[in-house]
Amino acid sequence: MKRNNCQGLPSRMPDNTAFQQQQLPACRPSLTARAVLPGFFATGVSFLGMGILLILSAKSVKEIEITYTDLCSNCSKLRENASNFYKECTCSIPFFIPEKMPGNVYMYYKLHNFYQNYRRYIISRNNRQLLGEDNTDVENCAPFQRASNDRPIAPCGAIANSMFNDTILLSYYPNSSTGINVPLLSSEITWWTDKHVKFQNPKSSNLSSAFAGTAKPPYWRKPVYQLDQENPENNGFLNNDFIVWMRVAALPTFKKLYRRIHRIQQFADGLPAGNYSLDISYNFPVTVFKGEKGVVLSTATWSGGKNFFLGVAYTATGAMTWLAAFSLMAVHLKLKKKKASFQC
Amino acid sequence: MFCGEKKLLETERRVKANDREFNEKFQYANNRIHTSKYNVLTFLPINLFEQFQRVANAYFLFLLILQLIPEISSLSWFTTIVPLVLVLTITAVKDATDDFFRHKSDNQVNNRLSEVLINGRLQSEKWMNVKAGDIIKLENNQFVAADLLLLSSSEPHGLCYIETAELDGETNLKVRHALPVTSELGADISRLAEFDGVVTCEPPNNKLDKFTGDLAWKDNKYPLNNEKIILRGCVLRNSSWCFGMVIFAGPDTKLMQNSGRTKFKRTSIDRLMNTLVLWIFGFLVCMGIILAIGNSIWEHQVGDYFQAFLFRDEVVKNPIFSGFLTFWSYIIILNTVVPISLYVSVEVIRLGHSHFINWDRKMYYSKRETLAEARTTTLNEELGQIEYVFSDKTGTLTQNIMTFNKCSINGRTYGEIYDNLGRKIEINEKTKPVDFSFNPQADSKFQFYDHSLIESIKLGDPKVHEFFRLLALCHTVMPEEKNEGKLIYQVQSPDEGALVTAARNFGFIFKSRTPETITVEEMGKVVTYRLLAFLDFNNIRKRMSVIVQNPEGQIKLYCKGADTILFEKLHPSNEELMTLTSDHLSEFGGEGLRTLAIAYRDLNEEYFKEWFKLLEEASRGLDMRDERIAAAYEEIERDMMLLGATAIEDKLQDGVIETIASLSLANIKIWVLTGDKQETAMNIGYSCNMLTDDMNEVFVISGQTAAEVWEELKKAKQLLFERSTGFTNGYAFCEKLQELKLGSTVEETVTGDYALIINGHSLGYALEANLQNEFLEIACICKTVICCRVTPLQKAQVVELVKTHRKAVTLAIGDGANDISMIKSAHIGVGISGQEGMQAVLASDYSFAQFRYLQRLLLVHGRWSYFRMCKFLCYFFYKNFAFTLVHFWFGFFCGFSAQIALDTSYWTVINHVFIWGSIAVYFSILFTMHSDGIFDIFPNQFPFVGNARHSLTQKSTWLVILLTTVVSVMPVITFRFLKVDLYPTLSDQVRQLQRAQDKATPLKSHKRQPRRTSSRRSGYAFAHQEGYGELITSGKNMRVKNLPTSGLGKTMYNSTSWIENLCKKTTDTVNSFSPDRTVKL
Repeated sequence: MKRNNCQGLPSRMPDNTAFQQQQLPACRPSLTARAVLPGFFATGVSFLGMGILLILSAKSVKEIEITYTDLCSNCSKLRENASNFYKECTCSIPFFIPEKMPGNVYMYYKLHNFYQNYRRYIISRNNRQLLGEDNTDVENCAPFQRASNDRPIAPCGAIANSMFNDTILLSYYPNSSTGINVPLLSSEITWWTDKHVKFQNPKSSNLSSAFAGTAKPPYWRKPVYQLDQENPENNGFLNNDFIVWMRVAALPTFKKLYRRIHRIQQFADGLPAGNYSLDISYNFPVTVFKGEKGVVLSTATWSGGKNFFLGVAYTATGAMTWLAAFSLMAVHLKLKKKKASFQC
Repeated sequence: MFCGEKKLLETERRVKANDREFNEKFQYANNRIHTSKYNVLTFLPINLFEQFQRVANAYFLFLLILQLIPEISSLSWFTTIVPLVLVLTITAVKDATDDFFRHKSDNQVNNRLSEVLINGRLQSEKWMNVKAGDIIKLENNQFVAADLLLLSSSEPHGLCYIETAELDGETNLKVRHALPVTSELGADISRLAEFDGVVTCEPPNNKLDKFTGDLAWKDNKYPLNNEKIILRGCVLRNSSWCFGMVIFAGPDTKLMQNSGRTKFKRTSIDRLMNTLVLWIFGFLVCMGIILAIGNSIWEHQVGDYFQAFLFRDEVVKNPIFSGFLTFWSYIIILNTVVPISLYVSVEVIRLGHSHFINWDRKMYYSKRETLAEARTTTLNEELGQIEYVFSDKTGTLTQNIMTFNKCSINGRTYGEIYDNLGRKIEINEKTKPVDFSFNPQADSKFQFYDHSLIESIKLGDPKVHEFFRLLALCHTVMPEEKNEGKLIYQVQSPDEGALVTAARNFGFIFKSRTPETITVEEMGKVVTYRLLAFLDFNNIRKRMSVIVQNPEGQIKLYCKGADTILFEKLHPSNEELMTLTSDHLSEFGGEGLRTLAIAYRDLNEEYFKEWFKLLEEASRGLDMRDERIAAAYEEIERDMMLLGATAIEDKLQDGVIETIASLSLANIKIWVLTGDKQETAMNIGYSCNMLTDDMNEVFVISGQTAAEVWEELKKAKQLLFERSTGFTNGYAFCEKLQELKLGSTVEETVTGDYALIINGHSLGYALEANLQNEFLEIACICKTVICCRVTPLQKAQVVELVKTHRKAVTLAIGDGANDISMIKSAHIGVGISGQEGMQAVLASDYSFAQFRYLQRLLLVHGRWSYFRMCKFLCYFFYKNFAFTLVHFWFGFFCGFSAQIALDTSYWTVINHVFIWGSIAVYFSILFTMHSDGIFDIFPNQFPFVGNARHSLTQKSTWLVILLTTVVSVMPVITFRFLKVDLYPTLSDQVRQLQRAQDKATPLKSHKRQPRRTSSRRSGYAFAHQEGYGELITSGKNMRVKNLPTSGLGKTMYNSTSWIENLCKKTTDTVNSFSPDRTVKL
């Protein structure tokens, strides 16, 4: 509100607001010993506690990693030659779980030396196509835009084309003769937003007609609408494995979630200890780029997987803070004495 | 020296009156002025060209071009173009508005009307159409349109009065007079139209008080000098009209030649920023090269195998070439280390600071409703870096109001008020002034607080009556009866005006004068005195006297003058009174008042007649005339009786003393540059405590030749060193010597306070190349520097000198047109607004109404701006490095493929576009961008849906954030704590003390008594010219109607010679102060 001066004209005097007069309340913490030292001690205590907690929980995670590139060397060799593209190659790897893996158990596949973070690779996709809006939109998908017959590739691009296509089955051997297939779930392995927002199938009565007029990516054995023979819902762009693959990894060595153990029957409490085997249909070539691949079985806790970094970092920071607090206290006390003698 | 290269060719100007065809041959500039930079057509190209000269803009243009190449482009093009266009537009709009206002003010000036004689008729013509050689008519109180040769005027003998405040800041009237041959033309239009004289003169230059040329007319040649020239920017006063012939027009006028060119001002932060940006750019190139090499190696060793999943582009088959392309891609990606938004953000922050200045209530002057205004928004943080302040005097430090403040009459002081206990009371706005309502002629503006004086007058104390009678009689003021019988005094020196006005209010009203009489109304009774002789003022005599005869036939000599001179002329019987008055004078002087001593002498008629004969003889004589007249004056001005003394206050603006004191505490040096006389300037120096008695030495440099100036400077320097070495004891001396050897500057070795006073003439030499270093060295050691009698250009030169040789940040503050060049050349120019002239404000970067606001501007706004800007820059660079280095490290993991690790595309857009937006805006946009809806619309542009949601639900994300925060903050706190604990800075200690005091009971505030202890007596400083006495006694400056019809008049001198006398004397005074006779500027 402008006040009026005697002539009735609005006064030009600036408004007296705290902001305009730069009188907003401000606070500058004064770093006195009384404030700093307790703060340091408290931080140190809480960090040490948190670090120990994190280490303990990471320790409780059971994890098994099986790299099978070399274990299935014959398959690896076979895949090195592109002419053997349609030849099946399976490989069975027995392994032993010494301890019971309690709770939810997750199965990952792990790739080494695969540069999913390479720029030209990452940009080689088309989100509009993946959203089911326009199958023919293959912009940015170079070098996998169109097949030789000039049909648009669906899904187009280098990422989709290089999709991990090994199938991995897990069998449990309670005794040496009979094996039970461990029930695996492929649902809920994707981000919710990916499954419900980012990826949509083209609208049509059935999937095969929806993708009519498109070509499959050259490295794929089956077209996109036949990815999952057992579950018709899990096909097209909404295939879970496909969605997981399309979320590119940040580092050249990465693992992606493949399956969850279905907790029924004897697996209700997780994987019991004992003999297992992996039955792999080996399709994905990795030796051509000097890569490796493997399977990881892991449980999880609230803090994530078997990762000690965070716990160690917290512990170290807590320890450092304590150290700092003690040295600060020493400096402060010594100095205070000196100062006091000065003033007298 | 001359404006423009074209004009360099002009060695002589020939202008023929009333002959446009003749003058067109020379293509002299017409009277249109341009201060604007662009017009509608040239704006875009010129402005863009200027803008792309900024390194940053050019760099981002280059980036934009890079991004348009698809093989290289790692970011989408709009991340650069949006901010770039934004920056360019904002700057262009600002430039355009600035220029629009310049156009507007140009237009306003160019379209002013003046009466021009065209084809034998007076016509109204716009200023811009006036050409050299035209004859124009000026009326009273009009601004002069161009530099004119005065032809004739309404006043007798072709005299006219001008005020030159716009040019040199002096408010006294100055006299100009036409050649006798041309003044005969009068207002006769037909004869003026026939006038065809040819003026030959020097080419346009910027020397305000010099003009040489001649007028050829009717086969005769008449020399012309500065006394016949009226300059553009002056105002005609007290003369109803005058005619003049245009010699210099528009850009050639001395006013325009004196206005320095507008320079683009930049702050030191700007320069630092540019250097930093260059270094960072180098750093960026290094990173680019490292990553490019890495890419070549990776493509060679790893990329080959990876072709199974990603065929190579045809173009990037060769790893080396791929590395080359990667280099450019990384230049684009990592460009955020050299952020364009830095420049935008800095500008925005500065804009905000400017608003804080505009909003500040503590810099708002309520009396004139004037706000402080930051006219340039880009210089705020420089305010915190000022080392030198150059201040004008008149109107800046002082109010340019002289008030009769105190007096000492017959050994008693008046003007101070005491309470019942005899204690002195501070005079403030609540103090009740003396009521002058009994006197209908009193000037309502005059205020006096001591009631005892008016009582003394009413009681009829003869000494007091004599005192005011003297003030009413002994002066050169011209009265003017305005309508309603109101009396207006035309003064040519404000001091005299104050004295005569005081006398008027106390009942001794100076009514009118003729060459022989002075009419005064004394306490309601009109008395006419015969003026027998007028003993004029000059710089050597430092006094003036009148000899008058009252109606009773008594002859008296009334004299006022500098106390030092006057005390020698007193009758021995005055010894006691003299000591008493002397004490009072010291007291007045100590308060910074200007003092005058006042005395009279009774003369008997025989003695006077004898003396008058002597004087007449002296004035008739041809040789040694001046000396003989002076001797005659000496003869009669003796054995005088002391009446008392007056004290005039050259009123300082409010708070000047405190402001100067606190600025000095902040180690800011204040130099006063004034066009005033040395005495006046020194006086102000004392009254605002810049000069004090405690000073070890005050150097006055007033040499007339280069050698003299050099000598004086050398002496001053010697003294400085002797003093400094003399004061220190042996041990300290050794230390000092060691310091000297270690390369410390001279200033540090000099102890004690010194002051330097230099006048314009000497300054001219001191600024020459061979002396300027010497001058600067001494000036910078001195605590106070006062330059008087300086021209506008010299002001700028002094500023320029300090600016270039000291590498210091300078600020110039002034109010008048004569300060413009200084304001423009200093790093920061401040204009005092709310006064009559606006030129200084228009040229300035900041403007406010009172000098005292400088303190807040520099010490609060400047400091805060600087702090904030530094913090911002540190944070900004940190932020960019943190953000960019992530990409650098990620390059090692993604095959150096220039893949971005974070979603820069949106990150940059947001950061750039909404940099001024709050965090709320930032996050709301961010979440919108992450929303499903926006992805549905632009799936290819916004592919990051779900990222934030998923990563922020991870517990480990938050744990990592917490960890990094603590890890980053902890060392800083440790460091700061140790610093405060071990080596507390001054402000830390102050804060600690404050806290301690807050806990204790609040202390009682001590009231400071601003009492000066100066014993210095301020000098007699009449700011007026010699020669007015003759004007008055000859009666030539009085209107015909005022002249008495009776032939009583007996002029002192031969009436034909008075004008030459005046001429000679005025030029003498001018020459003795003006530097241009021998100085090459």
